[in-house]
Amino acid sequence: MSTQEKVKINQLPTGVPGLDEIVGGGLPEFSFNIIAGAPGSGKTTLAHQFVFANATPERPALYFTVLGESAIKMLRYQQQYTFFDPAKLPDSIRFINLSQVVLEKDLGAVLEEITKEVEKANPAVVVVDSFRTMVRKPESDMELQSFIQRLALFLASWQATTFLIGEYAEEELRDNPVFTVADGLFWLRQTTERNSIVRKLQIIKLRGQASVPGLHTFRITDAGIQAFSRTFGLTARVRNPIGQRRLSLGVPELDKMLDGGVREGDSVLVAGSSGTGKSVLATQFIAEGIRHGEPGIVAVFEERPQAYAERATSLGLDLKTPQKDGKLTILYLRPLDLSVDETMQSILDAVQKIGAKRLVIDSLAGFEMALSPGFRADFRESLYRMIFALTGIGVTILSTVEVDESFTEFPFSTYSISFLCDDIIRLRYVSIDGQLRKIMVIIKMRGGNHAKDIREYEITSEGVVILGERLTNYQGLITGIPVHSNRSAQGEEPSHDSGTKNAI
Amino acid sequence: MTTLPEMRDLAQRLLAYEANADRASEPVGSTTLRVYEKLRRSLGELAGTAGFQSLASRALTLARSEVPSLSTVQVAADGNLQGMSAIEPPINAEKDRVHEGGVILISRLLGLLLIFLGEALTMNLVRDVWPDAASEDGNPQDGRKA
Repeated sequence: MSTQEKVKINQLPTGVPGLDEIVGGGLPEFSFNIIAGAPGSGKTTLAHQFVFANATPERPALYFTVLGESAIKMLRYQQQYTFFDPAKLPDSIRFINLSQVVLEKDLGAVLEEITKEVEKANPAVVVVDSFRTMVRKPESDMELQSFIQRLALFLASWQATTFLIGEYAEEELRDNPVFTVADGLFWLRQTTERNSIVRKLQIIKLRGQASVPGLHTFRITDAGIQAFSRTFGLTARVRNPIGQRRLSLGVPELDKMLDGGVREGDSVLVAGSSGTGKSVLATQFIAEGIRHGEPGIVAVFEERPQAYAERATSLGLDLKTPQKDGKLTILYLRPLDLSVDETMQSILDAVQKIGAKRLVIDSLAGFEMALSPGFRADFRESLYRMIFALTGIGVTILSTVEVDESFTEFPFSTYSISFLCDDIIRLRYVSIDGQLRKIMVIIKMRGGNHAKDIREYEITSEGVVILGERLTNYQGLITGIPVHSNRSAQGEEPSHDSGTKNAI
Repeated sequence: MTTLPEMRDLAQRLLAYEANADRASEPVGSTTLRVYEKLRRSLGELAGTAGFQSLASRALTLARSEVPSLSTVQVAADGNLQGMSAIEPPINAEKDRVHEGGVILISRLLGLLLIFLGEALTMNLVRDVWPDAASEDGNPQDGRKA
């Protein structure tokens, strides 16, 4: 059979932001699906979103409620979500209560009732909520299997896309005839990690198309469920070729140390202890981009956007005007209980909205603290996916990270994430001549030359300013407690390293 | 807690509509019973027999506090309203006469829907049963007075 003769399966919007990407574009039309999970996991809300996204007066949705949540109360609560459009009831969406039939009769009568209503309404969508309460009666296995088979056949023949909702434990996955018959199986989980709730969904099966495997986090807000794909919705995006262009960091001497600046699409890590000027450097990086017509995003976790912009003003950098002009977005990602995927989605949305070319994450420590404890264990892996996805679409990322100052070690990061970064700039304090001064060194620059020089810098009203030439009068600068030597740097040329490793 | 004026107006409109409509094919009964039965069918589909029965019982209890003569009226387990015919004459006997208890009972039932479902869904439900009578001016979006 040629490809032209294959049947085309229409895909219906799920009505859940992010879920279409996860299911592979949309829900297969006429599919027979199950939404399973524990009470409170969001099953009914998911079904409602699908119903409201697809029901029309011509092809309405029939929502059968059985024992369990009272239909009146369900509507009372569900209408609080913004997707709930009361005008769709009852012409496009009809709620039919089957409790009496279930209580007084058998499964055959239930099927008869559903059949009668479906034939009458010609629905595009049918939901049975909760299906589990309907089959909890002591029917024989054969009776149950026959009922499910007939229900699935009937609803498919009547061209209805169906959702059965049920409270199931994961142990029931095996040997359950319902799951065998179903075309799609959506499993919603809600787990407690220390004091936080983590919600995840999994498409255990979906016939006819490829869904994104794995567990995807989701959140329930006033707008209903929002799902966050593990691939951040970037699976279909074409990766940008590695840029050859060098981007200025806004500190001319530092650009020289970087052989002209960082490469476009690089991930840059600025590491240093508190007060060394990481955020100042990050601000200069973003302001320099805006000066060159490159919109930017700053994701802050430890201070409010207004405070961030005001601090920039004190350095002579105007972040307020570009915000008004739509060239800059300062995202304050509210602390606690975030998943990396949610954070990523917020950043991606902002990147796409203004066409950002530069991104600052200030700081990774704040980012980690903003996550739900359950996600912190996956921080490195998630960070890898995030950086890979963003640099892949041509965004240059500068992340700051605070490291504990040690006078015996020279760590780059407490997260062991240096492998995620193309370039690493290390800032640190050093004790010289009875003063606590600051030095800067390029640790790594993937695929490019960079200076090996250790340079002293100050934070002035103009931001980070690198002073003089490299420090050659001292030995052991990186220990933080150098020993004075009598050499002078005057007249010496800066040295560059073309390798990916250095001798520090 | 008294009957909401908006719900009382709506109940009166529905009762007047049923009292004046030509319903030759429908069984003779009191006006209140006709309105009640239509609500019962519609709400029964949504909330089930038990769901409707509990709402109706609550409405009757609230209505009795305003109209003591409703004490002889009962809501059966299947949601059927019993005893209303005894206090309210059949439609074909006194077309214009609706017992105050009927107005209050229907008002209370609609008031409960308003509390639980909100104005939009309540009015949708009423309009679905009485497309022509839900609003005073015939505007389907303006079924409730300000």
